[in-house]
Formats: sequence, structure tokens, C-alpha cells
Amino acid sequence: MPTKIALAGNPNSGKTTLFNALTGSNQYVGNWPGVTIEKKEGRLRSDTHRDVTIVDLPGIYSLSPYTLEEVVARDYLTRENPDAIINIVDGSNLERNLYLTTQLAELGIPMVVAVNMMDVVEKNGDKINLDKLSEKLGCPVVGISALKRSGITDAAEKAVELANKKVPMIPRHRFSDEIEQALASIEELLQDKVDEKHRRWTAIKVFERDIKVMERMAFDAALKDRIEAIIGKCETELDDDAESIITNERYLYIASIIKDCYKRRSNVKMTASDKIDRIVTNRWLALPIFVLVMFCVYFISVTTIGTWVTDWTNDVLFGEIIPPAVESFLSSIGTADWLQSLILDGIIGGVGAVLGFVPQMLVLFLFLAILEDCGYMARVAFIMDRIFRKFGLSGKSFIPMLIGSGCGVPGIMASRTIENDRDRRMTITVTTFIPCGAKLPIIALISGALFGGAWWVAPSAYFAGIIAIICSGIILKKTRLFSGDPAPFVMELPPYHRPVAGNVLRSMWERAWSFIRKAGTVILLCTIVIWFASNFGIVNGRFIMVEDLDDGFLAKLGSLIAPIFAPLGWGFWEAAVATLTGLVAKESVVGTLGVLYGFAEVAEDGQEIWGLLATSFTALSAYSFLLFNLLCAPCFAAIGAIRREMNSGKWTLFAIGYQTLFAYVIALCIYQLGSLFAGNGFGIGTVVAILAVVFFLYLLFRPYNERNLKAATVRVNA
Amino acid sequence: MLQYIANHIADIIIVALLLAAVIGIIAGMARKKAKGQSISCGCGCSECPSASLCHPGKGDKE
Repeated sequence: MPTKIALAGNPNSGKTTLFNALTGSNQYVGNWPGVTIEKKEGRLRSDTHRDVTIVDLPGIYSLSPYTLEEVVARDYLTRENPDAIINIVDGSNLERNLYLTTQLAELGIPMVVAVNMMDVVEKNGDKINLDKLSEKLGCPVVGISALKRSGITDAAEKAVELANKKVPMIPRHRFSDEIEQALASIEELLQDKVDEKHRRWTAIKVFERDIKVMERMAFDAALKDRIEAIIGKCETELDDDAESIITNERYLYIASIIKDCYKRRSNVKMTASDKIDRIVTNRWLALPIFVLVMFCVYFISVTTIGTWVTDWTNDVLFGEIIPPAVESFLSSIGTADWLQSLILDGIIGGVGAVLGFVPQMLVLFLFLAILEDCGYMARVAFIMDRIFRKFGLSGKSFIPMLIGSGCGVPGIMASRTIENDRDRRMTITVTTFIPCGAKLPIIALISGALFGGAWWVAPSAYFAGIIAIICSGIILKKTRLFSGDPAPFVMELPPYHRPVAGNVLRSMWERAWSFIRKAGTVILLCTIVIWFASNFGIVNGRFIMVEDLDDGFLAKLGSLIAPIFAPLGWGFWEAAVATLTGLVAKESVVGTLGVLYGFAEVAEDGQEIWGLLATSFTALSAYSFLLFNLLCAPCFAAIGAIRREMNSGKWTLFAIGYQTLFAYVIALCIYQLGSLFAGNGFGIGTVVAILAVVFFLYLLFRPYNERNLKAATVRVNA
Repeated sequence: MLQYIANHIADIIIVALLLAAVIGIIAGMARKKAKGQSISCGCGCSECPSASLCHPGKGDKE
């Protein structure tokens, strides 16, 4: 029988770091709560213990069933009976972390407490008496640093030893006499229903009137009345409700532990993190700093360092080296012209166009990984909480958006930690407004080829996403579907630390490699299909390879839908088809343009890369094209994730419809009003754009409907 | 027939290689779909906080 050891602890206490260290896994470690939303399993790396499985549980503050993470962790601990628990406790926040420890101890499962971040505790000059803590809790306590990998083997060895001995954990903590009396009475009533190991924990939960436990126990009416009488008597004696009585007693117990085991340095100075946070999370400075940071990230990635390398990739690698070499090889072996065209114009043109942007992507992912690893991104969720709260969303909704800057799919999936259905649906609807990695090639292409690398284009794409989220939040919160107060958002800010080079580089490479792999699969298929559809057609009743792409099947299909985009300034079939292929994967927009505008051929002729593309767009139509493709319906993978998380076809259609309509209106207004201000005349499109702006402003500034708010409150209370 | 094949052997080999690549890609995507995984998700599994939802119960590096 394999031995199962569960890792349980507060969010951000270092569980996943410990899990990776113990199992050799590479699980994502995030610096914000809700990163682990499902349990993960891995085998313990050990020469002596070959059959030990480590289970990483979501971070929780208690064993109450309030959040998805708590339900997942609690269900695992109480139903799947792990052989032992390693309770990972953040030593720099001992008092708060011990609340969960007191609850885990009651489960009766053998337990080891691993006090993490001992290096930080020592650096702060604080002292934790681990022996005394062990004596007080009634279980082994080990000091560790998961990040520095010190003490972790000792903790794992102790857990395996306890698991093998199967000695149940007997909590040292006793509640006051009145409560113990009540618990004993409840335990007696549970004798036939719950096995001895879990009886005390179940009795405490029944005493707290825990909804999930009460449901699972399915007491009959008579038994329910007897239990209620026991609880009621205790509540009258102690003049409080049952849940608060238990909570207070736990904190009194924790206070007594802290008094005996923890010595804080007498002259508590502000830590470096506190000093940085005074500026970075300052009420007035936080937002400008965030804007500046993200501006620099996108500016440096797309316009400076990234561009220098991308220029080489595009001009030299995919311009002077690969196409001529492949062409001369194909010619030398006598390959047919059409096959040469498929490989050069189709595959190298399309896939090469996408791969050309890998350097910019590497730089962007490097910056995002540094910001995540050092702890700044966790502050961004806190900063955005203030802003989001103003229009009825909490900072918890920003976490999916942070994750979505890599890829929209995990971003959408991360929204399941939002308990409130309305907030969750709204978060899912707006998450993909944040440009994901796959949209970077579109941003870089438009910025480089059509704006000559203008400094403002790339950062504006990111901020357009943020503004779209804020405006959508305001508009949607005023409707009956989404109205209501935001849920409270609690998160602790991890101390800043120097990014670990290995983590940052691995994160950057993993994301970039995944992008390269996608270019070699989905994008490759897409470019082959695009090449065939654009190069073949029916001319004079004959199916032939066309000389002019305007005669191909793709041009015919594109011409049917192109008029829809004419008011946005790019009503030609190439742009319309590129937008459509973006549904397969957003990189395909660039791949398609590469095939249709002869990326490889143009370079070979010595013309500027993307020179032909630049002649098809004006600055205004290019920016409108960029915004539409950033904000419209995401790729099929993300749509699938929306469908799964919404669990409703209607809501999925609403989300996709809203995003596309929103993108269309924004692109329309940009192009039409831009054209008006540029002196390009006044037309029917201008009138529609002005009306759209007026309606948009009305939706934005109309007052909140009190009736909707009341209805939402009633729904929540019910 | 043999003459035609001999004349176009380079084309045949390249088309066969391309077809093999395309079939391999499609088969790989079908396998992923059958496993309930996303076929064009843009994130590496070890960099994805939700990887455990696509690969339930697995913690080892994908």
C-alpha cells in the first residue's frame, strides 16, 4: 500500500515550493492566493522510501467550508484519509497560521508541523522555540526553509515514520469545561455514525453547525433536536453563538502557545518590504507606479531590447538565411513550383512570421516572471482591489487576469475560486481582455510594421485591456445580471525577495517553449490550410492553382465577410480572414498575414519585411485592427474554457457576444472618430460612432439601479 | 508509371513527409482532446496554475 502524505497550510505559506522540493516536480508557484485550486500528487524523492505519495492541497485558512479551496482540502483530509499530514506553517506569521494547525490536529491524522521560512524568522531577529511548540501541540515540529531546501528531508522523514507507525494524533488542546461537556455529549450521539479517529473533529463541526457536515450526517429530526438542545445550552451559558465560541477558544489557546514559544525582537523595526510597500501600495502612488512598471515592461519588450533581436530573427534568420537555403535545396532536388511555394510562402512564411516574435516574447515573459517572483504582482492584485471595488468587483477577480497575461485558458480556470456566481461570470467574461502571450505577435507586428516601433503602441495595448475591463465592469455591474456588492478580498502580501534566477528563467522558457511548440503544430496546420485555400480556386470553371490570390477560395470567402469590417477601416479580405483565423489561435493572425503578404518572399527580394502589409493599412485602420483583435472573442481553447467554467451555453454565448460587440464598437469609434479628427470627412459611420460613444457614456455614468441592488442582496442572502 | 515516380521522387518524398507531419499533429491533437486536454492552450503545463485540472492527480512534470 502506498503511503500518502498531505501538505496542508495557509495560502502563500510555501506548500507548492515544498512539494516541488520533495517530489522534484515543477508545479507552478505563485505569489498570490488561489494558485493551487486542485490537489496535486507527486512521488517523494527518496532512496529509502520508494512508495510515498505527497499530495499538495490548496492553501486554506481553516477547515470551514466557505471557499472552494477549503472544500477541496477538507474533503480530501476527511474522506480520503491520508496516512499523515505535513502542516506547513509560515514562521513569520506564526499566530495566524496556527489557527489551521489547531483544526488539523483534531482530525486525528498523524501530523508533523513544518515551520517554514525559518531563515526569515532568524533574519528578523525573532525566535521560535520548536521543542516547546512540539510539546504544546502534541506532534513533532521541524524548522524548515522550503526555498533554501533546508530541513525538508527531516520533515518528510518524520511524516513517513508517523504514517508507518499509524499513531493517531491526539490534540493537546482542550476547550473550556462547558464546551468539552457539550462535545462529549455530541460524540456520544455520533458513536455509531463516525469512526473514532474523526469523531472529535466531527463533533466540533456539528457543534459549529457546519452546513456540509450536517448535510453529510443526515441526522433524523429527533437526533437533530437533541444536538440542538446541547448546543443551545452551551450558547446560553457562554452567551455567544457556537461558531464564535469555538473560534475565541482557539485564539486563546494560540495566544498561550505564542506566549510560551515565540519571542519577537523587542525593537520591531519596519522591514524592507514594509518600507517598499509604503511607496508601492501608497493610496496615491500605487496606480502611477503600476502604470509606469507595465509601461516599461511592454515598451522594453516590444520596442527596444525585444525588437533588436526580433529584427535579426526576421531580417536575417527568416529573411537571409532560411528561405534562400531552403529554396536552393528544393530547386536542386527539382521540387515542383507549387511545393516550393507551399514550403516557402506557406510554411516558412506563416510559421516564420510567428516565430520571428519569440525574442520579444522571451523578454516580456522574463519581466513578468521577475515581477511575479519578487512579489510585486501580488501587490498589483491589492492595488487593483481598490479600483475594482469601486465598480463592484474585488481584487480576487484580478488574479485570473494576472494569470491570463500568460494564457487566457488558466486565467479563466482560475476564476473558479470566486465564490459569488455573478462576480465569477463577470470575471470570466472580461479576463481575456488582458493581452495574453499569443496576442503579443499581433501587438509587435502592428507596432513595428505599421507604426515604425512607436513607443506608445505596445503599452497602450495592455492598458486598453485594463480600461476595457474597468469599463465593462462598470457597465455590467449596473445590469440586473451582475449587480450586487463585491465579496470581501483577503490576501496577505508576501515579503519582497530577490527573484530566483532558476525560477525566472524556467518560467520564461516554459512559456516560450510552449509558444514555439504551438507554432509547430496548430499554427503550422493553419498556415498549410491558409496556403491551399488562398492559392487554389475556380477560374473559368476550372479548379486550378491561381496566379492572383484574389481568385482563390480564401479571397472569395474573405470578401463575403470583409464588408462587416469596412466601418472599422480594414474591410479587405486578407485582414478579415486573418481575424477569423485568430479564433484557432491568436498567433494565427500573424501567421495568416505572413502567408497572404508573402513574408518570406518580401524579405528575399530585399524589401522591408512586412512592407506590403504596411501599404494595406493606414495608422488608424491598423490601430483599429489591433484593438479589435485584442478585445474580440478569444481563441477556441479559451472559448472552451469559458464554456466549462460557465457551465452554460447561454452564458458562454453572452460572454463571446459581449466581447466581440465591445471590440467592434471600440474599433469602430477609434477609426471613425479618428478619421473625423484627421479631416477625412463626415459620413454615416461617423454618425454611428458618435451615437455609440453617447450610448457608451450613458451606460458608464447612469446611476446604479437600487432595485437591482436590492434584488441581488436578497438573492445572496437566500 | 515508374518513370513518373522517378521524375517526381523529390516531390513525392517531401509531400509524404509533410503528410506524415500533418497526420502526426492531428493525431496528437485528437489524443489530447480524448484525454480532455486543451489542444491549443498556450501555456506550458508546469507553468500553468490550473494544470491539475487538465491532469488530475498528477504532480510530476508534464
